[in-house]
Amino acid sequence: MFEIATRRRPYVLLAFALLFQILLLAVQIKRPDGARLIRVWAVELLTPPERAGAWILDRLGGAWSGYIGLVRANRENQRLRADLGQMSLRNSELEGRAAEARRLAALLEFRDAHADAPLLAARVIGADAGAGRAVYLDRGQHDGIQANMAVITPQGVVGKVLEVYSTTAQVLLLTDKSSGAGALLAGSRSQGAAKGTGEPLLLLDYVSNDQEVAPGERVLTSGMDRIFPKDLPLGTVVEVRPANPFKQIRVRPAARLDQLEEVFVVLSKKQWDWEAAQAAGGKPEPAPDGDRSRTGALSQQAKTGQSKSAPPAAERPKDQP
Amino acid sequence: MNPAEIAENASAPPLLIRGVVEPRLEVHKFRPGAVVGACFFALVLQAFVPAKVWKGEIVGDLLELPLLVTLYFGLSRRNPARGLLLGMVVGMLQDGLCGASGANPIGLFGIALTLVGYLASTIGARLDVEHPASRVVLAFAFFYFHRLAYVLTNRWLLAQNIPWMNGRLLAASLVTAVLAWPLFALLDKLRQDED
Repeated sequence: MFEIATRRRPYVLLAFALLFQILLLAVQIKRPDGARLIRVWAVELLTPPERAGAWILDRLGGAWSGYIGLVRANRENQRLRADLGQMSLRNSELEGRAAEARRLAALLEFRDAHADAPLLAARVIGADAGAGRAVYLDRGQHDGIQANMAVITPQGVVGKVLEVYSTTAQVLLLTDKSSGAGALLAGSRSQGAAKGTGEPLLLLDYVSNDQEVAPGERVLTSGMDRIFPKDLPLGTVVEVRPANPFKQIRVRPAARLDQLEEVFVVLSKKQWDWEAAQAAGGKPEPAPDGDRSRTGALSQQAKTGQSKSAPPAAERPKDQP
Repeated sequence: MNPAEIAENASAPPLLIRGVVEPRLEVHKFRPGAVVGACFFALVLQAFVPAKVWKGEIVGDLLELPLLVTLYFGLSRRNPARGLLLGMVVGMLQDGLCGASGANPIGLFGIALTLVGYLASTIGARLDVEHPASRVVLAFAFFYFHRLAYVLTNRWLLAQNIPWMNGRLLAASLVTAVLAWPLFALLDKLRQDED
């Protein structure tokens, strides 16, 4: 058997013999640093595969962890997206609340500044479903609201109460075609009538062509309509055109009628008290309740735009319709 | 026994060299213990004679008896496996004896003599090495082959810059080659098939 093996494979035997002796030498030989050659060879022989194995394992581990990381990242991404949606919703809600807080703060400030005025805060709960420009409030007859009471915001006049129900009230906005208010120019104190046109802008009528009116001039309530307290902001002149017999003045409402949320209702009783105070200070006498018709007439006049040649309500006799 | 008779009696198939069938060369057998004894004496002489008998004389450094013994049995037995194993054992023993004086780690001469034994067996299986002149030439050539293997191994593993050749080595190669003639003739007496 040995004969056959050695005859057939002397090269293999030679290789083994040489390898054995080389290893034997490596065991005996020491490097200058004291390490045996066999140890150096073993390290050099085993280090590359170990390094390659470590590299492969690192890559595999990295790929695996990366894959797992991707799955986790996807889940986390979905969760974060959901959180982001909720946060956005929450943010919008908080922004809405902040805006509401700011509006309420402005209302409160306005209310405090007019502590003697009979103001009733109300929330706009709906808008007119028809073509008219009206809104509904969450306050009604039970809260003391009556028809033709003024509705205002800290920015300016909104309109007047048109219809009153038990718990709600309908407010006719200034911009409605049938709406109007006694007005005066803040600079010249010239009086006129602000009328709704069905458009965002009001029309200030009954201002003579002799009167100097410039765009940007403020328009206030004159109080002559006996609905709106005097000197409340009505709007700002945006356009002035000469016309016959009066100027045609377009006014942008001071109150943002398209963004109404909270308003004040000026209770009518206080209105008359306010006018009485005005009368005590040399202002017109407060009118009895029955005189509301005069104001109503003025409003009606403003609403219908009748007799453009007629003088403003304040200049007319009280018995003149 | 002529070559034709040897070829007829051989159990192994004839050797093929470049497609030519050559008559099989004789594979010599030796008396029991002859190989071991010859190698033992060669090692003893190699290790102790230079140190004890020819102490300090150049002739002691020129002896390469283990090389000659390995070469002789490799050429005679013509078996590469046996030749390389014999060379390995003799070389490692020589390393061991030299290692006693701190010269060689075990394996340096072992590798060199392993290669010598293998190559000698391979050559002996293909050439007739019975002629004294060819033996001298082969001994001279194998001295440098042995030296080449030794120096390469030494430089590779031990990083020792030992010389390839110098005058002493040249003298040693000539002494070895000349010594091969009577030594091989003496060893021929140990052949069993010639009794």
